[in-house]
Amino acid sequence: MTIATAFPYPTPVAKLRSLLNSLPFFWLLLAIPGALMLAGWLDGAIDTMDMLHPTGETSARLMIAAMLIGPLTGVLGARRWLGWLLRRRRALGVSAFLYALAHLVFYVIDMGNLDDMLAEIGAPGIWTGWVALALMLPLACTSNNAAMRALGAAWKRLQRLAYPAAILTLLHWWWVHNGLAGALAHFAPLALVWLALAARRLQSVDAPPRTPKGIRP
Amino acid sequence: MTKLPLAALALAVAATAGLSAPAHATGAIKCDAGPQSGWKSREALESKLTKDGWQVRKSKVDGGCYEVYGTTPEGDRVEAYFHPVTFEKLYVARRGQVLFRAKGY
Repeated sequence: MTIATAFPYPTPVAKLRSLLNSLPFFWLLLAIPGALMLAGWLDGAIDTMDMLHPTGETSARLMIAAMLIGPLTGVLGARRWLGWLLRRRRALGVSAFLYALAHLVFYVIDMGNLDDMLAEIGAPGIWTGWVALALMLPLACTSNNAAMRALGAAWKRLQRLAYPAAILTLLHWWWVHNGLAGALAHFAPLALVWLALAARRLQSVDAPPRTPKGIRP
Repeated sequence: MTKLPLAALALAVAATAGLSAPAHATGAIKCDAGPQSGWKSREALESKLTKDGWQVRKSKVDGGCYEVYGTTPEGDRVEAYFHPVTFEKLYVARRGQVLFRAKGY
Protein backbone atom coordinates (compact mmCIF):
# COMPACT_ATOMS: atom_id res chain seq x y z
CA MET A 1 0.00 0.00 0.00
CA THR A 2 1.44 3.36 -0.97
CA ILE A 3 1.31 6.54 1.00
CA ALA A 4 -1.11 8.05 -1.50
CA THR A 5 -3.73 5.34 -0.97
CA ALA A 6 -3.21 5.09 2.76
CA PHE A 7 -4.20 8.69 3.36
CA PRO A 8 -7.19 10.50 1.90
CA TYR A 9 -5.20 13.65 1.14
CA PRO A 10 -1.57 14.18 0.09
CA THR A 11 0.99 14.12 2.87
CA PRO A 12 3.72 16.78 2.96
CA VAL A 13 6.15 14.17 1.61
CA ALA A 14 3.87 13.32 -1.30
CA LYS A 15 3.38 17.01 -2.00
CA LEU A 16 7.13 17.57 -2.03
CA ARG A 17 7.60 14.56 -4.30
CA SER A 18 5.08 15.80 -6.81
CA LEU A 19 6.61 19.28 -6.69
CA LEU A 20 10.11 17.89 -7.38
CA ASN A 21 8.67 15.75 -10.14
CA SER A 22 6.78 18.63 -11.78
CA LEU A 23 7.58 20.16 -15.14
CA PRO A 24 8.20 23.67 -13.73
CA PHE A 25 10.78 22.19 -11.36
CA PHE A 26 12.46 20.47 -14.32
CA TRP A 27 12.62 23.84 -16.11
CA LEU A 28 14.20 25.29 -12.99
CA LEU A 29 16.87 22.57 -13.05
CA LEU A 30 17.59 23.32 -16.70
CA ALA A 31 18.00 27.01 -15.88
CA ILE A 32 20.56 26.46 -13.10
CA PRO A 33 23.71 26.13 -15.28
CA GLY A 34 22.70 29.28 -17.15
CA ALA A 35 22.09 31.18 -13.93
CA LEU A 36 25.53 30.18 -12.63
CA MET A 37 27.21 31.25 -15.88
CA LEU A 38 25.35 34.56 -15.89
CA ALA A 39 26.23 35.21 -12.24
CA GLY A 40 29.92 34.56 -13.02
CA TRP A 41 29.82 36.92 -15.97
CA LEU A 42 28.01 39.72 -14.12
CA ASP A 43 30.48 39.30 -11.29
CA GLY A 44 33.39 39.70 -13.70
CA ALA A 45 34.77 36.26 -12.87
CA ILE A 46 34.08 35.00 -16.43
CA ASP A 47 35.18 36.96 -19.51
CA THR A 48 32.60 37.44 -22.24
CA MET A 49 34.80 35.36 -24.53
CA ASP A 50 34.75 32.53 -22.01
CA MET A 51 30.94 32.48 -21.93
CA LEU A 52 30.91 31.05 -25.46
CA HIS A 53 32.11 27.57 -24.65
CA PRO A 54 29.84 26.79 -21.66
CA THR A 55 26.68 28.19 -23.30
CA GLY A 56 27.36 26.31 -26.52
CA GLU A 57 28.29 23.09 -24.78
CA THR A 58 25.19 23.18 -22.57
CA SER A 59 23.03 23.78 -25.62
CA ALA A 60 24.56 20.81 -27.43
CA ARG A 61 24.16 18.57 -24.37
CA LEU A 62 20.48 19.41 -24.02
CA MET A 63 19.93 18.95 -27.75
CA ILE A 64 21.58 15.53 -27.64
CA ALA A 65 19.57 14.56 -24.55
CA ALA A 66 16.32 15.55 -26.27
CA MET A 67 17.25 13.64 -29.43
CA LEU A 68 18.27 10.48 -27.57
CA ILE A 69 14.84 9.87 -26.06
CA GLY A 70 12.99 8.90 -29.26
CA PRO A 71 15.54 6.42 -30.64
CA LEU A 72 16.15 4.98 -27.15
CA THR A 73 12.44 4.20 -26.92
CA GLY A 74 12.74 2.52 -30.33
CA VAL A 75 15.66 0.39 -29.15
CA LEU A 76 14.55 -0.46 -25.62
CA GLY A 77 10.79 -0.35 -26.02
CA ALA A 78 8.53 1.63 -23.70
CA ARG A 79 10.09 2.07 -20.27
CA ARG A 80 8.87 4.09 -17.35
CA TRP A 81 11.97 6.24 -17.16
CA LEU A 82 11.83 6.87 -20.90
CA GLY A 83 8.22 7.98 -20.53
CA TRP A 84 9.33 10.32 -17.75
CA LEU A 85 11.96 11.76 -20.10
CA LEU A 86 9.55 11.90 -23.02
CA ARG A 87 7.26 14.18 -21.03
CA ARG A 88 10.28 16.46 -20.57
CA ARG A 89 11.60 16.29 -24.13
CA ARG A 90 10.05 19.60 -25.13
CA ALA A 91 11.68 21.32 -22.14
CA LEU A 92 15.05 19.83 -23.15
CA GLY A 93 14.68 20.89 -26.78
CA VAL A 94 13.46 24.41 -26.07
CA SER A 95 16.14 25.00 -23.45
CA ALA A 96 18.77 23.76 -25.95
CA PHE A 97 17.55 26.55 -28.22
CA LEU A 98 17.59 29.11 -25.39
CA TYR A 99 21.19 28.21 -24.49
CA ALA A 100 22.10 28.48 -28.19
CA LEU A 101 20.49 31.93 -28.22
CA ALA A 102 22.55 32.91 -25.16
CA HIS A 103 25.61 31.56 -27.02
CA LEU A 104 24.80 33.95 -29.91
CA VAL A 105 24.16 36.90 -27.57
CA PHE A 106 27.58 36.47 -25.92
CA TYR A 107 29.22 36.03 -29.33
CA VAL A 108 27.69 39.34 -30.44
CA ILE A 109 28.75 41.08 -27.22
CA ASP A 110 32.28 39.66 -27.57
CA MET A 111 32.61 40.66 -31.23
CA GLY A 112 31.16 44.07 -30.50
CA ASN A 113 30.46 45.10 -34.08
CA LEU A 114 28.82 43.83 -37.25
CA ASP A 115 31.92 44.26 -39.47
CA ASP A 116 33.98 41.76 -37.46
CA MET A 117 31.09 39.30 -37.47
CA LEU A 118 30.62 39.58 -41.24
CA ALA A 119 34.38 39.26 -41.79
CA GLU A 120 34.40 35.76 -40.32
CA ILE A 121 30.98 34.54 -41.40
CA GLY A 122 32.59 32.46 -44.18
CA ALA A 123 34.81 30.55 -41.76
CA PRO A 124 33.59 26.92 -41.64
CA GLY A 125 33.40 27.05 -37.86
CA ILE A 126 31.13 30.09 -37.99
CA TRP A 127 28.58 29.63 -40.77
CA THR A 128 27.77 26.15 -39.51
CA GLY A 129 26.84 27.70 -36.15
CA TRP A 130 24.63 30.32 -37.78
CA VAL A 131 22.80 27.74 -39.91
CA ALA A 132 22.37 25.36 -36.97
CA LEU A 133 20.76 28.13 -34.92
CA ALA A 134 18.57 29.16 -37.86
CA LEU A 135 17.32 25.57 -38.14
CA MET A 136 16.58 25.44 -34.42
CA LEU A 137 14.45 28.59 -34.54
CA PRO A 138 11.36 27.06 -36.26
CA LEU A 139 11.71 23.99 -34.01
CA ALA A 140 11.57 26.09 -30.86
CA CYS A 141 8.74 28.26 -32.20
CA THR A 142 6.58 25.21 -32.95
CA SER A 143 7.32 23.43 -29.67
CA ASN A 144 3.85 24.08 -28.26
CA ASN A 145 0.48 22.33 -28.40
CA ALA A 146 -1.16 24.99 -30.58
CA ALA A 147 1.52 24.67 -33.28
CA MET A 148 1.28 20.86 -33.11
CA ARG A 149 -2.48 21.01 -33.71
CA ALA A 150 -2.19 23.62 -36.46
CA LEU A 151 0.54 21.79 -38.37
CA GLY A 152 -0.82 18.27 -38.04
CA ALA A 153 1.35 15.75 -39.90
CA ALA A 154 3.66 18.51 -41.11
CA TRP A 155 4.79 19.10 -37.51
CA LYS A 156 6.68 15.82 -37.40
CA ARG A 157 8.35 16.55 -40.74
CA LEU A 158 9.32 20.03 -39.54
CA GLN A 159 10.82 18.66 -36.31
CA ARG A 160 13.14 16.45 -38.37
CA LEU A 161 15.15 19.64 -38.96
CA ALA A 162 16.70 18.67 -35.63
CA TYR A 163 18.87 16.13 -37.50
CA PRO A 164 20.64 18.59 -39.84
CA ALA A 165 20.80 21.04 -36.92
CA ALA A 166 22.60 18.42 -34.80
CA ILE A 167 25.05 17.58 -37.59
CA LEU A 168 25.82 21.27 -38.17
CA THR A 169 26.27 21.76 -34.42
CA LEU A 170 28.82 18.94 -34.39
CA LEU A 171 30.69 20.49 -37.36
CA HIS A 172 30.52 23.95 -35.77
CA TRP A 173 32.04 22.62 -32.55
CA TRP A 174 34.68 20.57 -34.34
CA TRP A 175 35.85 23.34 -36.68
CA VAL A 176 35.66 26.32 -34.35
CA HIS A 177 37.47 24.47 -31.60
CA ASN A 178 40.35 23.03 -33.61
CA GLY A 179 39.62 19.53 -32.46
CA LEU A 180 37.19 16.72 -32.79
CA ALA A 181 37.60 15.03 -29.40
CA GLY A 182 35.23 17.14 -27.31
CA ALA A 183 32.52 17.34 -29.93
CA LEU A 184 32.75 13.66 -30.76
CA ALA A 185 32.55 12.56 -27.13
CA HIS A 186 29.22 14.38 -26.93
CA PHE A 187 27.73 13.20 -30.18
CA ALA A 188 28.91 9.58 -29.99
CA PRO A 189 25.95 8.46 -27.82
CA LEU A 190 23.55 9.85 -30.40
CA ALA A 191 25.34 8.14 -33.28
CA LEU A 192 25.44 4.85 -31.39
CA VAL A 193 21.75 4.91 -30.54
CA TRP A 194 20.90 5.70 -34.16
CA LEU A 195 23.04 2.76 -35.25
CA ALA A 196 21.37 0.48 -32.71
CA LEU A 197 17.95 1.59 -33.92
CA ALA A 198 18.92 1.08 -37.57
CA ALA A 199 20.27 -2.40 -36.74
CA ARG A 200 17.05 -3.26 -34.94
CA ARG A 201 14.91 -2.06 -37.83
CA LEU A 202 16.99 -4.03 -40.33
CA GLN A 203 16.58 -7.15 -38.20
CA SER A 204 12.84 -6.78 -37.95
CA VAL A 205 12.46 -6.15 -41.70
CA ASP A 206 14.87 -8.78 -43.00
CA ALA A 207 14.65 -11.52 -40.45
CA PRO A 208 12.47 -14.41 -41.60
CA PRO A 209 10.63 -16.32 -38.90
CA ARG A 210 13.22 -17.92 -36.64
CA THR A 211 14.11 -21.51 -37.29
CA PRO A 212 16.00 -23.83 -34.96
CA LYS A 213 19.79 -23.53 -35.21
CA GLY A 214 21.44 -25.44 -38.00
CA ILE A 215 18.28 -26.00 -39.99
CA ARG A 216 17.91 -24.00 -43.16
CA PRO A 217 14.42 -23.23 -44.25
CA MET B 1 19.09 -10.59 -30.97
CA THR B 2 19.16 -7.80 -28.45
CA LYS B 3 22.93 -7.94 -27.99
CA LEU B 4 23.85 -5.33 -30.58
CA PRO B 5 21.54 -2.58 -29.33
CA LEU B 6 22.57 -3.32 -25.77
CA ALA B 7 26.26 -3.21 -26.64
CA ALA B 8 25.74 0.07 -28.45
CA LEU B 9 23.91 1.38 -25.43
CA ALA B 10 26.72 0.36 -23.09
CA LEU B 11 29.16 2.19 -25.36
CA ALA B 12 26.86 5.20 -25.38
CA VAL B 13 26.83 5.26 -21.60
CA ALA B 14 30.60 4.90 -21.48
CA ALA B 15 31.01 7.73 -23.97
CA THR B 16 28.65 9.90 -21.97
CA ALA B 17 30.64 9.20 -18.84
CA GLY B 18 33.72 10.44 -20.70
CA LEU B 19 32.04 13.79 -21.31
CA SER B 20 33.03 15.27 -18.05
CA ALA B 21 36.73 15.12 -18.92
CA PRO B 22 37.92 18.71 -19.24
CA ALA B 23 39.05 19.74 -22.70
CA HIS B 24 40.22 23.29 -22.26
CA ALA B 25 43.54 23.34 -24.10
CA THR B 26 42.76 23.66 -27.77
CA GLY B 27 46.37 22.61 -28.40
CA ALA B 28 46.40 23.88 -31.98
CA ILE B 29 50.21 23.70 -31.90
CA LYS B 30 52.92 22.79 -29.39
CA CYS B 31 56.05 24.68 -28.42
CA ASP B 32 59.11 22.98 -26.99
CA ALA B 33 60.63 26.02 -25.30
CA GLY B 34 62.18 24.54 -22.19
CA PRO B 35 61.31 25.45 -18.60
CA GLN B 36 59.08 28.46 -17.95
CA SER B 37 61.89 30.14 -16.02
CA GLY B 38 63.63 30.71 -19.34
CA TRP B 39 60.57 32.30 -21.00
CA LYS B 40 60.01 35.98 -21.57
CA SER B 41 56.92 37.32 -19.82
CA ARG B 42 53.43 37.35 -21.29
CA GLU B 43 53.20 41.06 -20.50
CA ALA B 44 56.30 41.66 -22.63
CA LEU B 45 54.64 39.84 -25.54
CA GLU B 46 51.43 41.82 -25.12
CA SER B 47 53.25 45.15 -25.13
CA LYS B 48 55.34 44.12 -28.13
CA LEU B 49 52.20 43.12 -30.03
CA THR B 50 50.42 46.35 -29.06
CA LYS B 51 53.40 48.32 -30.36
CA ASP B 52 53.19 46.32 -33.61
CA GLY B 53 49.56 47.38 -34.06
CA TRP B 54 47.72 44.44 -32.48
CA GLN B 55 44.83 44.76 -30.09
CA VAL B 56 45.24 42.09 -27.43
CA ARG B 57 42.05 40.89 -25.76
CA LYS B 58 43.45 38.07 -23.74
CA SER B 59 46.54 35.87 -23.54
CA LYS B 60 47.43 32.63 -21.83
CA VAL B 61 49.74 29.62 -22.00
CA ASP B 62 48.58 26.80 -24.26
CA GLY B 63 50.59 23.82 -25.50
CA GLY B 64 53.79 25.38 -24.16
CA CYS B 65 53.23 28.49 -26.31
CA TYR B 66 51.70 31.87 -25.60
CA GLU B 67 48.22 32.00 -27.05
CA VAL B 68 46.79 35.43 -27.78
CA TYR B 69 43.22 36.40 -28.62
CA GLY B 70 43.02 39.73 -30.37
CA THR B 71 42.91 41.77 -33.56
CA THR B 72 45.80 41.81 -36.04
CA PRO B 73 47.19 45.08 -37.44
CA GLU B 74 45.16 44.20 -40.57
CA GLY B 75 41.97 44.18 -38.50
CA ASP B 76 41.25 40.44 -38.34
CA ARG B 77 39.88 38.97 -35.11
CA VAL B 78 42.13 35.98 -34.51
CA GLU B 79 43.65 33.49 -32.12
CA ALA B 80 47.47 33.46 -32.47
CA TYR B 81 50.33 31.44 -30.99
CA PHE B 82 53.79 32.82 -30.24
CA HIS B 83 57.00 31.19 -29.11
CA PRO B 84 57.48 32.11 -25.43
CA VAL B 85 61.25 32.66 -25.80
CA THR B 86 61.66 34.19 -29.25
CA PHE B 87 58.14 35.69 -29.59
CA GLU B 88 58.14 34.29 -33.12
CA LYS B 89 54.63 34.18 -34.61
CA LEU B 90 53.83 30.49 -35.11
CA TYR B 91 50.17 30.13 -35.90
CA VAL B 92 47.21 32.38 -36.63
CA ALA B 93 43.63 31.16 -36.96
CA ARG B 94 40.21 32.73 -37.24
CA ARG B 95 37.57 30.58 -35.55
CA GLY B 96 39.57 27.45 -36.30
CA GLN B 97 40.32 28.48 -39.91
CA VAL B 98 44.12 28.55 -40.22
CA LEU B 99 45.41 31.83 -41.69
CA PHE B 100 49.11 31.34 -40.98
CA ARG B 101 51.33 28.51 -39.83
CA ALA B 102 55.10 28.86 -39.37
CA LYS B 103 57.32 26.25 -40.99
CA GLY B 104 57.79 23.19 -38.80
CA TYR B 105 54.67 23.84 -36.68
